[in-house]
Formats: sequence, structure tokens, C-alpha cells
Amino acid sequence: MTELLQVLIFGVLTGGVYALMATGLTLTFGVMKIVNMAQGALLILSAYLCWTLWAHLGIDPLLGSLIVTVPLAALGILFYRFIVERVQRHDHGLTIVVTFAVALVAEAIIALIWGPNPIAATPAYFNQAFTLGSVTVPRAQLYACLLAVAVTALLQLCLRRTWLGHAITAAAENPEGARLIGVEPKRIGTWIFAIATATTAFGGAALSFLYQFTPDSQDTWIGLTLSVVILGGLGSVTGAFAAGVLLGLAESVTSTYISVRWSEAVPTILILLVLLIRPQGLFTLAARQDAAV
Amino acid sequence: MNKNGMNGKGMTQAGIRRTLVALALVALAVFPLVSDDLYYQAMLILTFVLAIGATGWNIMGGYAGYISLGNSAFVGLGAYTTGILAAKDNLSPFLGCLAGGLVAAVAAAILSLVTRRTRGMYFIIVTFAALQLLGIVATIWSGLTGGSQGLALPIPTWSLTYQNWPFYYPLLALLVLSVAVSAWVRRSKLGVGLFAIADDEGKAAGLGLATNADKLIAFVLGGTFLGVAGGIYAYYVTFLNVSAVFDIVTSMLIVLSALLGGRGTLWGPVLGAFIIEPLANLTSTSLGGANAGAIRLLLFGGLLGLVVLFLPRGLIPTVSAWKTQRQGQGQKQPDPERLRLPLAATMTQEGDQTEAAPAQRPHADATTMAGTGTVLAVRGLARSFGGLRAVDDVDLDLPPASVTGLIGPNGSGKTTLFNLVDGTVRPSSGRLTLAGRRVDHKSRQARAHAGLARTYQLPRLFPSLTVLENVVLAERRFSVARLFLPRVTVAERGRAMAVLDDLGLAQYASTSPATLSYGQRKLIELAQVLWLAPALILLDEPAAGISPALSQRLAGMIRHLRSEGVGVLLVEHDVAFVASLSDRVYVMANGKIIASGTVAEVSADQAVVDAYLGDQVALAVGNPVESAS
Repeated sequence: MTELLQVLIFGVLTGGVYALMATGLTLTFGVMKIVNMAQGALLILSAYLCWTLWAHLGIDPLLGSLIVTVPLAALGILFYRFIVERVQRHDHGLTIVVTFAVALVAEAIIALIWGPNPIAATPAYFNQAFTLGSVTVPRAQLYACLLAVAVTALLQLCLRRTWLGHAITAAAENPEGARLIGVEPKRIGTWIFAIATATTAFGGAALSFLYQFTPDSQDTWIGLTLSVVILGGLGSVTGAFAAGVLLGLAESVTSTYISVRWSEAVPTILILLVLLIRPQGLFTLAARQDAAV
Repeated sequence: MNKNGMNGKGMTQAGIRRTLVALALVALAVFPLVSDDLYYQAMLILTFVLAIGATGWNIMGGYAGYISLGNSAFVGLGAYTTGILAAKDNLSPFLGCLAGGLVAAVAAAILSLVTRRTRGMYFIIVTFAALQLLGIVATIWSGLTGGSQGLALPIPTWSLTYQNWPFYYPLLALLVLSVAVSAWVRRSKLGVGLFAIADDEGKAAGLGLATNADKLIAFVLGGTFLGVAGGIYAYYVTFLNVSAVFDIVTSMLIVLSALLGGRGTLWGPVLGAFIIEPLANLTSTSLGGANAGAIRLLLFGGLLGLVVLFLPRGLIPTVSAWKTQRQGQGQKQPDPERLRLPLAATMTQEGDQTEAAPAQRPHADATTMAGTGTVLAVRGLARSFGGLRAVDDVDLDLPPASVTGLIGPNGSGKTTLFNLVDGTVRPSSGRLTLAGRRVDHKSRQARAHAGLARTYQLPRLFPSLTVLENVVLAERRFSVARLFLPRVTVAERGRAMAVLDDLGLAQYASTSPATLSYGQRKLIELAQVLWLAPALILLDEPAAGISPALSQRLAGMIRHLRSEGVGVLLVEHDVAFVASLSDRVYVMANGKIIASGTVAEVSADQAVVDAYLGDQVALAVGNPVESAS
């Protein structure tokens, strides 16, 4: 019983972090139907930046992520304006290929700057835990999950309450209609990419002290973030949060009761299952185009 | 004649290309015999593997438009099958690679079956995830694959005087075979089907094309070649480890080669591979040190990005477009709106040209159907989208040899009803009987095979195919043998040219429909769906936006179809056009049929006047009165 409770707590905390890492992808995928294969690389880049701030200036990664949002947002804007938007104009299907190319280039640049060896930030709390009776709550995981909740809530608030949020939602539901009422897709796209990559800084911060990372671990993280987004139903921020938690639980249960090595396969298995059985995602209702039976 | 001149020139160009290919092939064949430079031999061996991979990828990714990022999985499956058979059962790798091809083919077939409803970027993601999963499974299943320790194959035992010939020549032969198969696919009905899928898969299904079978064959062909190549490659490198074999970077190089050379062209993937692999070889020998891997990744990732950004169509199409642009400036386009003679005139001289066109061909189905009373029976059909009942409890009967009009304001559910009948949208409830067969849960193909045809308000033709190929595309039944036929058989050409001649569009037979005017495309689409020899045809606003002369011809064609026993269901806002043709009219509003009867009956109906015919009144009316008829 205690073991199960422990597994559940760990699963929920990890899941919150997964959702945080996938937030950027949720926005670009959901609103613009662009699968940003560079999400993993952006995460790793954020993690390296947070790690650098921590290792050289002693800035805590959680705090450092606020600083990292700035260059990441700028990168997102450049990425969209000079690459994604140009490709999208002539062949939407190739956007996934070009973002994949960007992921490889980013991986190479990261490796050239920081080298290929695994690193991780180790702030004071990284291996401490709160104890509640017989269960332990790791502090690092808890902080990261709280950050995830905060970012998700803030993002949801922005989408619901601000003009930009409404414009983004409108563009997601009906691009042509949005254009007619003066919501310019290119401008919205720029905003979405800026926000998406900026929030990736938080995911990267969590990654920097929760996991060891190398330049080529971006490959793993793109798989994981993709599975969160697909599981959550495209573009739903809260759906992605629920999906992250579900994924975290599935991994945690798999590694405890089956084997740690199989838990690595959980995200890809879930991607395949969802896309093959319920392509519209687990947490979405049938939309008009879906023509579900 | 200008046209013949062009053809003559085209022939010589094809001749030059054929000579070049033959020369290159001879050079590649004799190279290892005259040079003992093992460096270049090794480079060519890897180039062949990549060229085979890119050619195989191109059948699905280029022709059918289904991009895959997971194709190195087939290399991995082939390599591991061969490696395991060689290491555990002492099977010669040259036989093992055939088993590798088989395993890859089976994997491709399974993937194709389970992804048959997966489109576009979802397909890309599935291939990506499948590759990742295979890599993980191969690592975990270390008893079989050696896991992270790797798997060693037996060292080749032949004399050193033979160098790497036993790898070189089989791979060269496999490359020739894969290009030959790719060329055959392009020239066959299978290829036309794949190009049609890339253009508009839904429309292709509606024409009765076995899209799933086409995709399955394409994917299996590509996978098989990669599997066999992977097997030979495994023996060549003699050591396999999971992260190297199931590497996404291999997939990336395959995609890069195909895109660079020209996706969807025959030689593009080969050309791309012959550029990429030597470049990779050069960088791996000239670069050293700890950063070599990162620099290579930067180079090839960057190259992929640049190709997508600045050369999205690839080298071969870009160069040939540039060449035709340079020489083809002076070509005169025939007047697009010109129509040779009113169709009504040809219709009256029926006797002269009985076999001329499918439209004028009596169809067995349609005539036998005359006995049964209805070609289409709709009972209680409903479809909701969220809270909106777009089609609400619709009953409708369509007798053969009749024209039925369906009118109603915009948003009344006419197009959704069409989508329900042709299977684009599945009903929430209700029954649909087509030519005596229940079809409400049948695929679009099954409905086309049962005799249903449909045109669209904005014609949906296939721009990658010629007008002639568009016309002969539809299939009334599925047969595997048919896939092996040439794109357009002699008999089909004869019949289709007669149809095009009749429409005054014969001179466009070998151009893309994208170059035609809107009205011409409407005519071509009608000819295209009539190729099915349908028992029932749905026409969605056929007269919208076309000239009065054309709309008269169209009316003549519809009357003729009726006289041939075809049931016609017509959605049209031009009430006069509907009135002049229809035996019976249904009026829809808010998803319901509010009235039906003859034109005279319906136009006397107050509810109809309120809902539709009297535009000014329609806006003010809240609830239409139930009709008396």
C-alpha cells in the first residue's frame, strides 16, 4: 500500500514536469498544426543554459529559468520567421522535416559548446525529500511540479482572458475566420512561437536538476513531449497536463512493477496506441472534421 | 506541327538520359575490376545502400506523399535478421539478407495496416515512434540482439583478391532492381493511384481506388529493398549495435537524399544519395577529433534544412522547370473557354457514336436497377456535430432514370447529406441503401463500387496527373492484376479521347488539369466520375459559376444520363436550372426535409417560399410550417 502510494506520488510529480516540458509543443501543435521536432533540442538547450547560470554564477535553476526565457523567446521568433513560416507557406508537410533538421543542428551546436559528457545541476535540494509518514516526497520533483502547475495555470489564464489568448484560440479553431477579423496568422504565429519557446525554459530548468543530460538526449525528450501532446489531444493545455500526469504514472508503475528498462518504452508505446486507436487524443471531444463513428 | 516537334526533342532528351544512365552503370560495374582502391569501393558500397534506401522511401514518401522518418527501422530489421541468422544458425548472410527483406516487408505491411487511417504529420510521428520503439525493444531483448554489447557477424572468408566484390555487386544489382521497380511503379496503375493519393486521398477513395492496398504495396516495396540492403550492409560492417543501426540519422540521410535529388522523381533519390554519401565519407575522413560527430551532424542537419528551405522540390524538378521555362516561352495556349459544339447536338446523334463515351454507354447496373425501384433509399438519416444537428432525420428515395433536385438555403445540410451518402462523414443514426445494398457503414470505395459517383462544387481533380489520366482513374471494382496495367491502357485511351473530344478538351489530354479553367475542370470532373458508369450520381452545384452556354450543355448531359437509367441527385441554387431538369424536388432547411414533390408543388408550398425561395422573407422566418406534401 505504501509502495503504491509512493509510486502514485512519484508518478504525479514526474507527470507534472512532463507536461511542463511539453507546453511549447502543445501550443505550436495545437494552434498551428506544426509539429516542432526541435522541442527536445530547445529543452536541452534551456537545461544547458540553466546549468551554466547555476554552475558559473550560482543562480538556482528555478530562478535562472526566468532569465533563460528571454533568449529562448528571441530564438523562437527567429526560428518561426526565418524557417518555419517560410516552409509552411509552400508545403506544410515539410515543416516537420525542417524542424527535425533544426533539432539536429541544435544538437550539434550544443555538443560543440558544452561537449558530449552527461551533466546535471545539483542545487542543495536536488537529493532532499520531505517525509510524510512512511512516504517520501522528493523536494526537487515537488518544486518542478509546482512550477508546472503555475506555468500551466498562467498560460490557461492568458488564453482565456487576454486579447492575444482569444486571438490564438480563434486562429486555432478557424484560421480563415480569424484572418477576416484582423487576426494576422503570421503575427499570431510569431507570438505563439515566442511563448512556446519561452515556456520551454521552465521545462529545461526542471530537466537540468532532475535528470542527467547530454546533447543527444534531445532525441528522448522529443519522443516524450510528443507523447504528452498526442495523449492530451492537440492544443489543450489542461489536456496536456492530464496527459503528462498519466504518462508519469504509467512510467512510474511500469518501472516499479515491470522493469525500469521497459518504462523507457512507455512514451512511444502510448504515442502509437493513441494515434492508431484514438487519433484525436484522449481528452478531446469529437470535432466536426473528425467524423468519429 | 509544334507538338510533334516538342515530342521529337523530348525523345532525344530521353535518349541522352538513357545513354548517360547506361554509361554510369557500366562505369560502376567495371570500377572494382580496374581499380583496387578500397576507399572508393567502400564509399560506393555505402552509396548504393543509401540510394536503395532513398529509392524505396521515395515510392511511399515521394509518389504517395507519405513522409516517413522511420525508414532506418527497415535497415535495422534487415541487418539484425541477417546478423542473428548468421551468428546463431550459421546461415550465409547472402541468404540471410533475403530473410531480412522478408522481415522488413512483414513489418512494413503491419505498419501500413495499422496506420491505414493515419494521415500527414500523424503518419510521420507514427514512423518516428515506431523506430524509437524498435530501438528500445532491440536493446532490451539482448538475448537475441546482443543488446548494447552488440552482435558480431562471421568474418568473410573469401580470398582478399576479391576485395569487397561480394558486397559491391549484389548491392549494385539491388540498386538497379529497386530503380527498375520504382520506374515500373511510376508507369503502372499503382503509380497513378499513389500520385492520386498524394494529391487528394479522399477523392481517390471516392473514385473507388483501393487506396489502402496501394499504400500497403508501396510501403512494402520500399521496406523490402531496405531490409535486403540492411542485411548485406550488416555482413559488410560485421558488427551491429542498436544505437548505430536503428539510428534516426540514417533515416535523416535517406530523407535528405530523396529531397535533395527530387522527391517523387525516379532518379532524384539516386542522385541525392550519390551526392550525400560521398560528402559524408569525405567529412568522416577529413574530420577527426572529439567534435567530428557534432560537425557532421551540423553539416547534414544544416543541409537538410537548407534543402527544405531553398530547394524544396529538389534538384531534378528545379533544373527541368528551369529548362522548360527557358525554351517554352513561345508556346501558345489554346483559348480555354472555347467549346467546340453544344453537347445537345451530339446527344441527338446518339446512334453514330454508341461506344463513344461512358456517359453514353448504357450501364448494366443502371438498367437492372430500374426493376428494383430505387437506387438510393435514405431512412431516418441524422448526423450531429456537437450540439448541431446538421442532418436531422432525413428520408429520401431516388428512383433510377430520374433527376431529383435538392434545394435549400446555405447551411441547411445539403452538403452534409452528400457527405453522408458518399461516406465522407459517418451517420449518427439512420440507414442508407444504395442499389439494394446497405452502405451506411461501408467505406467510400465500397460505395463507389456499388455505383455511386459524386462531383464537387469546386472540382477536385488531380494536378499531378494528366487530364487523360484523371478521366480514366476511377475503378468500379478492385483487382490486384489491374495495378500492373499501364497508367492508361490502349482501350482506355481510345474511349477517354472520345469523351474529351466530345467535350472539346482533347487538346488538353496530356496537360495537368491545374492549367484548365474552372468550367473546363467541372466538365473533366463530370467525365471522371462518369467513368465509374455510376447508377447514382450526386452533383454538387454543377451550374455554379459557369457560363450559360456551358450550363446548357450540362443540362443536356444530365438529361442524357437520366435516359441511360442513371439516378441523379442535384444540389443547386439556380432554381430555374433545377426546375427545368428535376422530376422531383426535395427542400431542406435546418437539416430537415421540409417539403418534397414536383417543382410546381414545391414552389406553391408556403414553408418553402418562407425558408428559401423568397429570400427577403427567409431572413425573417423563425419556424417553418410543416409542409402538407
